Amino acid sequence: MRLRIWAGEGGSAGSRLFAAYAVASLVTVGILGGVLTQGYRDEAADRGRDHGSAQAAVIEEMAVAPALDGADLTAGLTDQQRERLQTATDLAIFRGSVVRLRVRNFAGRVVFADDGSTVGGVSVSDPSFRTAVAGRSDVKVVAEESRPSGQVIRVVQPIIIGASGQSVGVLELYLPNEAIAAHLRQQMRQAYLRLGTGLVLLYVVLALISWSTTRSMRRNAARHRHEALHDGLTGLPNRAAFRARTQTELDAVDRGGSGGAVVLADLNRFKEVNDTLGHHAGDELLQIVADRLAGSVRSGDTVARLGGDEFGLIMPGATDDEVVSLLTRIRDAVTQEVTLDGVPLSIEASFGVALYPAHGTGIEELLQHADAAMYHGKRGTADIVLYSGHSALQATSWLAVQAELRHSLERDELELLYQPKIRLSDGLVAGVEALVRWRHPERGLIPPSEFLPAAEQSGLIEPLTAWVLRRALADQAAWMAQGRSWPVSINISARNLESPGFPEYVAALLAETGAAPALVTLEITETAVAGDAEAAIAAVHALAALGIGVAVDDFGIGFTSLSQLRGLPVSEIKIDRTFIGGMPHDHQDRAIVRSVIELGHALGVRVTAEGVETVRVRRWLLEAGCDDVQGFLFSQPAPWPILVDRYAAHDVPLLALTSQQEYR
Amino acid sequence: MTHRLIAVAGVAVALLAGGCATNGSTDGTAGGGETIAVNEAIRQSLPASVRDRGALRFATDPSYAPMESYAADGRTIIGFDADLAAALGSVMGIQIEMVRADFSAALDDTRSGEFDGVMSAMTDTVEREKKADFINYFSAGTSIVVRRGNPSGVTELKDLCGQVVAVENSTVQEDLLKRSQRGCGKKPIVIRSFKTNADALLQVRTGRAVAILNDFPPAAELTTEPATRAHYQLASTVQYEPGLYGIAVAKNNVQLRDALHKALDELMRTGVYKELLLRWGLTTGALEASSINGAGVSPDAGQ
Repeated sequence: MRLRIWAGEGGSAGSRLFAAYAVASLVTVGILGGVLTQGYRDEAADRGRDHGSAQAAVIEEMAVAPALDGADLTAGLTDQQRERLQTATDLAIFRGSVVRLRVRNFAGRVVFADDGSTVGGVSVSDPSFRTAVAGRSDVKVVAEESRPSGQVIRVVQPIIIGASGQSVGVLELYLPNEAIAAHLRQQMRQAYLRLGTGLVLLYVVLALISWSTTRSMRRNAARHRHEALHDGLTGLPNRAAFRARTQTELDAVDRGGSGGAVVLADLNRFKEVNDTLGHHAGDELLQIVADRLAGSVRSGDTVARLGGDEFGLIMPGATDDEVVSLLTRIRDAVTQEVTLDGVPLSIEASFGVALYPAHGTGIEELLQHADAAMYHGKRGTADIVLYSGHSALQATSWLAVQAELRHSLERDELELLYQPKIRLSDGLVAGVEALVRWRHPERGLIPPSEFLPAAEQSGLIEPLTAWVLRRALADQAAWMAQGRSWPVSINISARNLESPGFPEYVAALLAETGAAPALVTLEITETAVAGDAEAAIAAVHALAALGIGVAVDDFGIGFTSLSQLRGLPVSEIKIDRTFIGGMPHDHQDRAIVRSVIELGHALGVRVTAEGVETVRVRRWLLEAGCDDVQGFLFSQPAPWPILVDRYAAHDVPLLALTSQQEYR
Repeated sequence: MTHRLIAVAGVAVALLAGGCATNGSTDGTAGGGETIAVNEAIRQSLPASVRDRGALRFATDPSYAPMESYAADGRTIIGFDADLAAALGSVMGIQIEMVRADFSAALDDTRSGEFDGVMSAMTDTVEREKKADFINYFSAGTSIVVRRGNPSGVTELKDLCGQVVAVENSTVQEDLLKRSQRGCGKKPIVIRSFKTNADALLQVRTGRAVAILNDFPPAAELTTEPATRAHYQLASTVQYEPGLYGIAVAKNNVQLRDALHKALDELMRTGVYKELLLRWGLTTGALEASSINGAGVSPDAGQ
């Protein structure tokens, strides 16, 4: 179908080109033909003149002049001269070799004529006659109706008698032109035939040229069109083609077609591949991913490379459930391990989905929403995210959040809640964890998960952590004053650890507030110190050297091995809530928790379980030897005065407090 | 005194004009006569009838280039004689018309008064002086002209014995041939005489005669002109019986004879004569001074 359409276009372009060539060459050939024809006519006329002049010279010298020897034409001819002239010319006239012949004196009088008349002939004042009088021959091809060719050769020339060259009169001679005219006709016929043949051959050649030219132009155009709409690296449609295709789908919806989904996908940590393995490896990875994407979509779907490691998919007619299941299949295909330059790599990709017309009817709108959904996925743990108005609102107001967060610090909209950590051995409060909340004037209480990533991104995390540290230490001083010597745990981000001078800042803050380092624990995520984060590790050492406790938060989900914690001055491990929550029905989770507890103890650190919500779990943890627990079973996060009210002062292990003070 | 100054000035102009004509064209017909000043004394010495007519008619046979021949138009007569006649006319203040005539009859027609004179490269001979007076103006001998390649091996007059030789009627050459018969013994020369020199030449061209006798100047022209040299060559470089050309006038017309003589003297003196000879390539035949009836005076006279 497509080929036929192209052939049709090419055909009409070809015939247009051929018509242009044909007209141009027809004009040229026409001019050429005109010039040739005129040349033949001129040549025929020249030939006629030469022929006539030569023939006339012979006739004059062999027949006329000898007959007129000694004649004086002013007086006319003698009978003898007339008779001699008749004898000499009769046969030629009779047989038609000479059409007409006149002998005239210089005054123009006809003294002899082939038909015996004494009048006629060219006028005396005619240039031809004057030329002959002056001694030269004049030859012309003139019209003569009585002749078959309609033409006759007229020669007017002097009559030279005798060897001395004396001119006595004018000979007017008319010679037949038929042979020359026939020759001319023959030549013209040949010329026309040759021109015609040449024209036909030329047209054949031109047709071939125009056909081949249009074909190559067509191929060129098709290549350009393909290049304009396709990505050079992967061969997939490019962003322009993707947008055009999306627009087509949206137009179809306008005309009553079913909706579908626009999906944006990108690879996680693609930049690392490029940076570590080189661009060629990155390109190879993109090609592999492109092939996998293209190979796993439905036949009517579109896969495009939008730039970098970003891909776009259009899935017409897919509902949200279908999209998710399709994308799941696609993700599984895409994220299979690849080996680049001998290095096995696991690929992760994030997919953001916007449905049309449900999530928008404009391209920009849909792409924004899909982008927001994808970004949301990158932030969280889900790699396939369907756009929902709420998450998108946050995502799209990301910058606004950052701006507001900056103000929130000034306007004191943040507040700290504390969740107690209960020691299983005696049920007393082993410490409290400070958790920050944002009481937004319009949107109410915002959990940290919704603004901490924004803070991390923007560098606001540093003033935020500074605020939290200062506030928590102040609060601790306050509850200490009320007789509660609870240690306080504060979450810090990897970025805090990496920022130069952070340990010094903490030391200064401790000195300023007079807080006891032994009653302060900083919680870090295991990924913050994983791998080769040298600056972070150095910071952990520096903080531990201050006497501060260091806890590893959310332990178990970051895929760090315990061996990576070896050598770090860690005082506490907090097992992630996902393992604790799975314990009641998953014996693997129980095994993991048990072994973490055992390993922690073996390494000499305390082990805390997070997210403890049932009595059964608490009991199990007790049996497993877990040191401390934290969770809703005991208390939700609350302002510290409420905790002070809830937990009696006698619960406070005074001994520990005093001993730590002494220790200090 | 004043007249002489004017005359000298006129000559100077004539020389200039002649020079120009030479450079421009050899077909010139008038010989620059228009610019030659009329010598009133000579004019006055002309017979009254001639002065009144203002013209003279000289007979000539125009088949003897470069002396006299037809121009390309077949009607105008050109050549050294024509130019010299025009120049003489200019000096005398009259027109001199060259009229075609049969060479053989020209002298008789002059005696009869049909022509005022003959100017046709005619050699002054004692015989002819009996019929007319001659004003001598040129000198030339006779050459033998044969077909190119000289198939009959003619190198001198005696080689012509037993051969057909063409010649123009009543010329000195005809007379020379007749006189040469004495040395031929039993193989006489077959002399064919024709009305014009051209007719005689035709005989050689067509092989009907082995040679033709011409004065040297026309013979030289024949053998050098591109149109004719393919057919003719000189048998040798010898010129037989050099003689004087003369303008013939009737014996009873002494006034005209003397006027022509004076006019020729003037042309020789002023250099116009030399100029015309140069124009026609005839300087070898130049005379130092003109004479009247010089045939008997010259030691070799009588052709």
